[in-house]
Amino acid sequence: MNTKKNTLSLAWVYTKMIFHSWFQYRVNAVLASLAVFCREATGILVIYFTLLKFDVLNGWNMYELLFLYSLLFVTYGILIIFFTGLRDFWKIVRNGTFDRFILRPRGLLFQLIFANADWFAAVGHGGLGITLFIISAGRVGIVWNFQTIAYYIAAIIGGVLIQGAIFLFLATLNIYLLETGSIKELFYYNGRKFAGYPISIYHKGIQFFMIYIVPFAFVNYFPAQFLLRKEDMMYYPDIYMYLTPVVGVVLYLLAYLFWRYSIRYYKSSGN
Amino acid sequence: MLRAYLAFAKKSFLQKSAYRFDHFMGIFNTILRIFIFWEIYQALYGGRAEVDGITMSMVTTNFILSMGLSVVFKVNDFYLPDKLQDGSIATELLLPVSFHGRMLASNLGSSLFQLVFHFVPALVVSVLIMGMEAPVSAPMFILFLVSTLLGYFVLWSISFLMQMMSFWMLNVWAVMTIKDVFVNVLSGSMIPLWFMPDWMQGVLKFTPFSYIYFTPVQIYLGQLSIKEILIRFAMQAFWIFVLLMAGAFFWKKGQKKIVVQGG
Repeated sequence: MNTKKNTLSLAWVYTKMIFHSWFQYRVNAVLASLAVFCREATGILVIYFTLLKFDVLNGWNMYELLFLYSLLFVTYGILIIFFTGLRDFWKIVRNGTFDRFILRPRGLLFQLIFANADWFAAVGHGGLGITLFIISAGRVGIVWNFQTIAYYIAAIIGGVLIQGAIFLFLATLNIYLLETGSIKELFYYNGRKFAGYPISIYHKGIQFFMIYIVPFAFVNYFPAQFLLRKEDMMYYPDIYMYLTPVVGVVLYLLAYLFWRYSIRYYKSSGN
Repeated sequence: MLRAYLAFAKKSFLQKSAYRFDHFMGIFNTILRIFIFWEIYQALYGGRAEVDGITMSMVTTNFILSMGLSVVFKVNDFYLPDKLQDGSIATELLLPVSFHGRMLASNLGSSLFQLVFHFVPALVVSVLIMGMEAPVSAPMFILFLVSTLLGYFVLWSISFLMQMMSFWMLNVWAVMTIKDVFVNVLSGSMIPLWFMPDWMQGVLKFTPFSYIYFTPVQIYLGQLSIKEILIRFAMQAFWIFVLLMAGAFFWKKGQKKIVVQGG
């Protein structure tokens, strides 16, 4: 009788504990995605308040700039569903999880891509991207027909592949270098920061960087130009507006070859 | 007593100097961030001499000063949360040195490091590339330094208050991130506050954010009369007082219910 009672009260204690921790994490999870959403919205707020005052930036009005920005978020939201494993590859290498991956009977890249997904980031970025798209897409004079919709989808896929290739390339560098945080900051996150605005406002060196080195211009600027046809497109060859999917596929193949080549030289960071 | 605090300040100063490559990248990124905003505003101005009486050179000065100072003002938001999480708070509280004093001292140490080895080089390179207004006069420059110091304490006090949340929450990362969004958008470091719409200016009057970087910048540019400067100083002091008092209140409440992880 007594043991029965103890078991019951223990079960009750456990239940309370589980409920408590579940609630704790619930609150954390909701707060964390809200925080990501707010943090990413900072750039949007800056554009909003700035354009409220100045009306146009190099011929682009507020909605056109928001449309440009939305392409970044939509592609990143999709990207992070598949490529979280590559974003966090350095952690996987450092704590030795990668050695376990090698022993499993599945392709390494397959495991990296499907074993992990940062859904908070995906929902935060993707949600913001879709919100911006809904706000801006009807107000920037795009005629949405079969042709433009097909183009939009191809551009999104191309944009995801371009950034996926950058992730894969940076992940591969981890095989050679232990510390790649600063390189990632320099090449990926700075590129994304620049891409929030039309690249035509920047110094020629930065434009070159954005088109030919870390080709973020093909993720959002040139696709937006195809749909919006702003005046500053005259500084660049027209063909660039059609290249996004090609750049995406070629870059991804190159990054993949680099990965295949480098993986043979992988040495565990353990003993 | 002061010796002990100096030791803590020195320790965090030395810790900062351990990662050389990352440090250079940090300076580079600061300059790059200022440069991006400078280019955006060049395009926005489109050759106009001034907008609402604000010249491009004043805008440049605002970005260089406020973004430059933001690397000096950087507060370790997780000083208390980390110590609560790993349980070291228990031993910390037994030390014969005030915990809050340590918090401040270690932050001052890293701020001093950032001032000399991050702000100064970033400032020199930025001025060479973009140019900047000179201080209006020597007395104004001294008043600018005073309000900069006060601005530092306003931001530190905001963090101090927010850190107290960690007594009630296991993870304060989200709260700190949202706090940073408010600071970034409303302090004038990303949008010069001259260009905020009127309704926003009204809202800002009731918040501490404009007293962090924007007040020093306005004094530096000679935009405020002596009377206005004194009022701003009083407001800065008021906010520091209120935030610290609120922080101390929650510190007292929180101490009573320290929940040490794993304890």
